Amino acid sequence: MTASVAPRIVRPADATEVAATLAACARERAAVVVVGGSTLQSLGNAPRRCDVALHTSVLRGIRDYDPRDMTAGIDAGTTLAEVARVLGEHGQWIPFDAPLPARATVGGTLAAGWAGPRRAAYGRPRDLVIGSTIALTDGTLARAGGMVVKNVTGYDMSKLYVGSLGTLGAIVRANFKALPRPAAHRLAVAPIAGDQRERTLAALGALAIEPTAALVLDGFARVARYPGAALRLVLLFEGSEAVVDRAVRDARSALGRAGIAETLLHDGEIAQHGFADIVDAYVDAGERALTYRTSGLPSTAWARTRAAHALAREHGLHAESIADLRTGDAILRFSARTIATFAAKLGAFDADVRRAFERATVLAGGGTLRAAIDAWGAPPSTIATMRAIKTHFDPAGILAPGRYVGAI
Amino acid sequence: MVTSLASRLLEALGPDTVRSSPEDLAVYSYDAYSDGHLPTAAVLPRDAREAALAVRIAFECGEPVVPRGAGSGLCGGAIPVRGGLVMSMVRMNRILELDVRNRRARVQPGLINLDLSRAIATHGIFYAPDPSSQKVSTIGGNVGTNAGGPHCLSYGTTTNHVLGIEYVDGQGVIHHTSLDDPGYDLTGLLVGSEGTLGLVTAVDVRLLALPESVRVGLAAFPDVESASEAVSAIIGAGIVPTALEIMDKLITGAVEAHYHAGFPLDAGAVLLVEIAGPRDDMTAGENAIARIAQQHGALSWRSSADAVEREALWASRKGAAGALGRIAPNYYIQDACVPRTKLPAVIHEIGRIAHFYDLPVGNVFHAGDGNLHPLLCFDRRDARAVRAVVEAGTEILATCIAMGGTISGEHGIGSEKRDSLSLVFGADDLAAMDRVRDVFDPSRLFNPDKIFPTGAVCGEVRAPVAVA
Repeated sequence: MTASVAPRIVRPADATEVAATLAACARERAAVVVVGGSTLQSLGNAPRRCDVALHTSVLRGIRDYDPRDMTAGIDAGTTLAEVARVLGEHGQWIPFDAPLPARATVGGTLAAGWAGPRRAAYGRPRDLVIGSTIALTDGTLARAGGMVVKNVTGYDMSKLYVGSLGTLGAIVRANFKALPRPAAHRLAVAPIAGDQRERTLAALGALAIEPTAALVLDGFARVARYPGAALRLVLLFEGSEAVVDRAVRDARSALGRAGIAETLLHDGEIAQHGFADIVDAYVDAGERALTYRTSGLPSTAWARTRAAHALAREHGLHAESIADLRTGDAILRFSARTIATFAAKLGAFDADVRRAFERATVLAGGGTLRAAIDAWGAPPSTIATMRAIKTHFDPAGILAPGRYVGAI
Repeated sequence: MVTSLASRLLEALGPDTVRSSPEDLAVYSYDAYSDGHLPTAAVLPRDAREAALAVRIAFECGEPVVPRGAGSGLCGGAIPVRGGLVMSMVRMNRILELDVRNRRARVQPGLINLDLSRAIATHGIFYAPDPSSQKVSTIGGNVGTNAGGPHCLSYGTTTNHVLGIEYVDGQGVIHHTSLDDPGYDLTGLLVGSEGTLGLVTAVDVRLLALPESVRVGLAAFPDVESASEAVSAIIGAGIVPTALEIMDKLITGAVEAHYHAGFPLDAGAVLLVEIAGPRDDMTAGENAIARIAQQHGALSWRSSADAVEREALWASRKGAAGALGRIAPNYYIQDACVPRTKLPAVIHEIGRIAHFYDLPVGNVFHAGDGNLHPLLCFDRRDARAVRAVVEAGTEILATCIAMGGTISGEHGIGSEKRDSLSLVFGADDLAAMDRVRDVFDPSRLFNPDKIFPTGAVCGEVRAPVAVA
């Protein structure tokens, strides 16, 4: 946040107080930023103004959770770790797949539109939301959806709020469809040489059981370690013991035929933690680095990361990358020795990134670097409709002004 | 005015694309819900450009635009209740692009649901949403109602399989949304909006790999309540089958007479269970389900790995409503959804309500999702029975809401249930939806008099909005 004066912090006690706070701010034209666990606050641009930081931390609790219905209503300030713990007691989960779950909140994760590498297997968080309540700047609380898993009753407003980054209102509660938690988790890490790319992709494409997630890491040395290898293939398998056993066996022999002889295997909790560490790394940039997410077709993800490394070399920057072979995301982290050296070339570099990748948005990075560029790049063709939505929901323009796409 | 719309359309698009004589328009006056209203004109566009031109002309004439797929909707969503222009999308029925490796396709909205899965099956992929109407209903119509089907228990509904949408606004401008775009999720808003936000002209869909193995099991129970208890227990055990469907005795009787799929006729209810996935899970899954069924009083259990037998079971399940023609001249199918643990209580209440109104009732439903479809049988020529059906239907909805449910799981609101929407949502909830409608369609000409209650905040009056 770039406000010159520290924002006033408010912690409403319940949903009604959130709505009343927003209404009061709208009357006073005070700019509001909604704050959850502050794990994804680096998404988007810094708001032009921030007079009030509305923390959802008091809105905690898992309501209406009946494991037999596999649905749960969860207050916005509840942490993902808390959700995992309570649902886990009943063998269930909501695969948010988001970084830093001990701090990240349900409301923040939804508002950020987070969608992690497991989404090819389980869907995005948006796909598991079956209802929501949002506080709006006119002081009302608007509900949508419900507590049933199928619902065509009016517009699916929850979809609008998920990913709106606190620019339309404050999500105070969301209802979810839970899933059975897989019994077995296994993480395979294999070193790959640059010339094994095509063979590796062919081997993966022929697997009868698809991995839950398939990533190619270049750099990010602190996670998914394999001694001596910069380029690693990471496969996560989740399911029943029998299925995971066969999946790992098949994957190892397929990779072996592709010339990748060695695979490190992690099982159970170590596999889960190992994978969680990778997801944490998505937003772990530091002051001297900038991390972009580019989205696109899964078949082009690896090529995009290679293009990013070439681009970094041209600009004298260091690049690290994660190519998500199932979702099509490419996570690109660029860094320099000092903030100043990066900042000096950032304008030209960012322009090249936007030229090279159709959809690149800034996911994380040092405050100085982020402040120098637009996090979103060129807005999509539907931007006029998006602007109209913003005006209809926040006519006073008080919610995180300037943070969103197209300076919304 | 009336002649002006038809003549302008004819001038712009020609007689092969525009229908305007009353005898040609009769087919566009109704859908599978009930008789409706004659439109002023109908247009059968061949591409998005023609569709956009027709929309622009209709809006310039101040006439409504009502999108129409197969007309198989069950809640009057395609009826031109205020006249105007019906846009029949049947000619836009092609797969525009198929990307097997990335498992996506761009299709036109008039493509029939089943035709998509059939066309791509050789590549080992399929389109998951499979409403019972899939032999006739279109992808565009499915998008309008966020259609479900028996298999959304594990795969989710239409909205979980739409990656982007091309739509036409009231000015005739073509827009394209994508889940990959930064910004508000316009795609998610458009799905399930029943044609009230714009005219969909293309849909980007997500495709899935066909499962390695599929098994279908059939359990017979003494009554619907015990079958419903078994459903909750199966899910509670951490098993999520791809489908969990219940049919009661009245339905199985009608279905068996028609399809001869081998349903047990002496049972009070049958439970159809499908599991799909890697072959390693099949035997354990089947055994667990059979054990739970037995614990909940199942009279028999049989399972099938045979594709032909499986198809026969599914064909009869999806044809269940049609087979009811054997029992009564007319039926009214209700669509409501409750938390699945409430199923036994709701089924019991539905039986009580039907008995009170002296109406035969059949239950065939997506039990795993808590999505009910009571079918009330009647004879339209009997005015007393028609009144009873309407009253019983409303009571059933009220019962479902009281149990924490909602008034439509997958058919939509349309014109049928618009006045019931305020049983579920209050003025503030509806006002938020109205803001969205105001953005997309300030003149309220896209499928008017649908979804939102008459006279509520979401009436056809534009709410003034202050601009900062």
